[in-house]
Amino acid sequence: MSVKTEKRQSLLTRIMNPKYMMVYATVIIFLIIYAYGAIRYGKSGFTTLRTFVNFFTDNAYYGISAVGMTMVLITGGIDLSVASVASLTGMIVAYGYERMGISPVITMLFSMLVGIGLGALMGAAIHYLNVPPFITTLTGSFLARGICSLISRESISMNHPLIDQLAGAKITLYRLVNLQNWEWEKIKPITKIDMTVIIFIVMIIAGTILLQHTRFGRNVYAIGGNEASAKLMGLPVGRTKIAVYAINGFCSSLAGIAYVLVVKSGWNMALLGGELEVISSAVIGGTLLTGGVGYMVGTMFGVLLKSVIPAIINFNGTLSSWWGKIATGGLLLLFIVIQRLVVSYTERKRK
Amino acid sequence: MPEAVRTQTNEPQNILEMRGIEMQFPGVKALDGVDFFLRAGEIHALLGENGAGKSTLIKCLTGVNHKDAGTILLDGKEITPTSPQNAITMGIATVFQEINLCPNLTVAENIFVGRKEFKRKIINAKARELMQRFHLDIDVTRPLSYYSTAVQQMVSIARAVNIESKILILDEPTSSLDENEVQLLFAVMRELKAAGMGIIFITHFLDQIYAISDRMTILRNGRLVGTYDIGEINKLQLVTLMVGKDMENIFDLHPVQVAEDAPDTLKAEHLGAPGPVADISLEMKKGELLGFAGLLGSGRTETAELIFGANRPTSGKIELKGKAVVVKKPFDAIMNGVAFCPEDRKRDGIVGDLSIRENIMLAVQAKRGFLHPLSRAEQNELADKYIKALSIATPDAEKKIGELSGGNQQKVILARWMATQPDLLILDEPTRGIDVGAKAEIQRLMLEMCGDGVSVIFISSEMEEVIRCSNRIVVMRDGKKAAELTGPFDSETQSKILQIIAEGGEAS
Repeated sequence: MSVKTEKRQSLLTRIMNPKYMMVYATVIIFLIIYAYGAIRYGKSGFTTLRTFVNFFTDNAYYGISAVGMTMVLITGGIDLSVASVASLTGMIVAYGYERMGISPVITMLFSMLVGIGLGALMGAAIHYLNVPPFITTLTGSFLARGICSLISRESISMNHPLIDQLAGAKITLYRLVNLQNWEWEKIKPITKIDMTVIIFIVMIIAGTILLQHTRFGRNVYAIGGNEASAKLMGLPVGRTKIAVYAINGFCSSLAGIAYVLVVKSGWNMALLGGELEVISSAVIGGTLLTGGVGYMVGTMFGVLLKSVIPAIINFNGTLSSWWGKIATGGLLLLFIVIQRLVVSYTERKRK
Repeated sequence: MPEAVRTQTNEPQNILEMRGIEMQFPGVKALDGVDFFLRAGEIHALLGENGAGKSTLIKCLTGVNHKDAGTILLDGKEITPTSPQNAITMGIATVFQEINLCPNLTVAENIFVGRKEFKRKIINAKARELMQRFHLDIDVTRPLSYYSTAVQQMVSIARAVNIESKILILDEPTSSLDENEVQLLFAVMRELKAAGMGIIFITHFLDQIYAISDRMTILRNGRLVGTYDIGEINKLQLVTLMVGKDMENIFDLHPVQVAEDAPDTLKAEHLGAPGPVADISLEMKKGELLGFAGLLGSGRTETAELIFGANRPTSGKIELKGKAVVVKKPFDAIMNGVAFCPEDRKRDGIVGDLSIRENIMLAVQAKRGFLHPLSRAEQNELADKYIKALSIATPDAEKKIGELSGGNQQKVILARWMATQPDLLILDEPTRGIDVGAKAEIQRLMLEMCGDGVSVIFISSEMEEVIRCSNRIVVMRDGKKAAELTGPFDSETQSKILQIIAEGGEAS
C-alpha cells in the first residue's frame, strides 16, 4: 500500500509529477530534432531566429485550431469539422466582399458566430442526443463543406485593403547593439512575426489560462477523466461540453481567418484533410485521445514539431518532401507508443 | 468516548426519518412500506440480500429514484431529493462501491472540483489537512490514478465529508480494501460519528457490521424485517433474519474427502517472478480444494496468475497431471485444463454487453479454436444446462450479463470455466461483493466440482470461507508461502492463520 509516500514538496518532485510526462516527451523530441538540424545545417542558417519564427508561421492556422481541438480531446471527444469550418469561414469572407461587397470586418464576425453556433449545435447533439462525437462532427464537416460548395465551387481570390493590411502587419524584431546609446538594429536575417503567429500565441496563452486557472478548465479535465463520475460529482457536464465544442468552433473560424490572411482567397476545397493535421498536432503534443490529459504548451510543441521536420527536409534539399509525411507518421506512432508506456508504467507503479 | 456523553443527555435525536417508503418497478414491488430512522452520531448498518431493497432505499434517499409513496424527513423537515446533486446540497453525501472520481485529476482537485474553493494553493493545503485527518500522508498534487484503490476510496470519502454533510452513506466501501485499510476506514468513521454525523453503512461483511455499527436495519424482499441494536441479535440470528432461512442449513458445507492415492493434478516447484512472488511450491491432488489465505497483496493472486500464464514466471517449473508443461500464456493453460476466474469480475471477467450464452461460450470456443465453432443449438443446450445447474436467476440465456446481479454474474463466469471441463480451477475471490445466499451457493458448487474430480484453488479474503471449504490451506505472506495447514480444521484455525499472517512464523 502506498499510504506512506513522500509528502515533502521539493521542486524536483513537483516537476517530476507524472501528469507532465507527456509534455516533457514532446519537448525533448523537439529539442533532439532541432539539435540535429542545428548540427547538420547550422551553417546554412538553421539556427537563425528567422528559421525558428518560421516554425510558428508555417502552421499557425493549424495551431490556432489545435487550441480548440486540445480542449475537445481532453473531454474525450473529437472534432472532424474544424477544417471544413475554417474553409467555410474563408469562403464567407471572400464571397461576402468580392461578390456582395460586404466589409470583411462584418463577414469575419459573422463567420465566427457561424463557427460558435455550429460548434454549440454539435456539442448539444453529442451531449443530449448521445451521438458519438466522431459521427456528429463528421456530419458537421460534410455540412460545412457542402455550404462552402453551395456558395461557390471556384476559388475566389480576395483583394481588400484590410486583408492586405492585416496580412502585412508584421512585427520586425530588433536587437540592442549598443547599451550606452540605446541603439537598436534589425536582427539579421530580418525576422518578422506575422499577425497569424501573434493570434496563435495569444490563443495558446488564453487556452492555458482557461484550462489551468478556471473552474471551467478543471471541469473539462474532470469530464475527460470520467464523465459518469463528473456527473455524480455534480459538475455541469452538459454545459461544459457544449461550451468546449463552441470554443472549438470559434477557434476553427479564427484559423480560417488566419488562413485567408495567408492565401488571400476562399476556396471550397481549402484545407482538405486539415482536421487530421490538427488532431495529430495535439496528439503529438501529448494530448490523450482517450481524454483527461493534455496541455496547451504540449500542443504548441506538437505544432512546432510538425514544422521542424519539413524544415530539415528543406535544408537537406535532396530529399522528397514526402519524407516529411513519413516522419510525421512515424512520430505520431512513437507518441502513441510512449503514451501507452507512460500509462502502463503508472498502472504498474500503483500495484 | 464522546458519543457516550451525547446519549446520556437526552433521547437520541433522529436526524433522518423515512416512513412508509414504497417503490414500484415494472413487475416488482422493490420497496413496500419501509421505515428507516437514522440518529445523529450513529453508524447504522443497512442489511439484506441482493434484491432486498437496500440500494433502492438509498437511491430514493439520494434522488436517483423517486419514491412512489412515503415521507422523508431530514432534521424534521420533509424533503424530496430530485437528483444526487440536489441530495448533496441537502447534506446527504454518498460514497459508492465503485470509485466515482476522476483518475486524471490530482487528489486535491478531486476533493474540491465543483466546490467553492478553487485556487490550487488553497485546495492543496486544505486537502493535505483533510488527508491527515484520515491518517494518510500522501502527496495531494499527484494524479489520483497514482494511488491504490484504498487511498482512492479514502479520497472519495474525504470529498463526501468535506461538504457540510449531515448524513454519509457508505455503499460497500470495504469490498476492495484489505484488513489494515478497513481499520483505517473505521477510524475515520468513528471520528465522523463523534462529530455528530449519521452514517449509513452497507456491507456484506458481517464481521465489519459487528465491529463498527451501533444499530442495524434488515430488509428482505422489499419489506422491513426490523431495526435492532447491535448487541440484541447475534450473527446467526442476523443471517437467519436476512435470508429468511436457517443459517446452519445454508452453510452446511464440508470439504470433500480426497483419496490418499489420488493422482497429482498440479505440481509447481519454486515458482517465482520478480516482485510479487518469491519461490512458491505447491502440490495438489485430484479433487482437492486448496485454500489461499493472506492479506491483499501477499501474492495470492499473483501466484494464481503465474500458474495460469497471465504472468510469466521467471523461475521454477509447473507439472500438470504429472506432465511438465510450459505455460507462456493463458491459452496454454486452458489447453492443459486450467481455468481461472479472476478477482475483478467487472474488469477481467464478464463481457458486459454480451449475453449470458455468449459469456459462457467464450472459453469453450477458445479451447476448441475458431475453426470448430459450436453450433447455435449446441450453444443453447450448453447455456441452458448451466443456467439450470447453477440456478442462475434469469428469464433466458440471451439477457445481457451486465444486467444480472453480482452473484449471478459470478455464476456465469463459473459456468464459463466449468464448460471447459477443467482439471484445475482457480477461483480468485469468487464470493466478493455478493450476498450470503449466493456465497453459499458458489461454495457448494465449488465443493461439488471437487467431488467430480476437479482440483480447485480457492482464494478469498474471508477466512471463514477458506476454512470451511478447504482440504488444505496455504498461508501467503509477502509473496512467500508462510505456512501450509492440513485439515480437518477447527475453531482454532482462524486465529492460527491470523497469527501466521501477523508474525510470519512457521506453523507447527
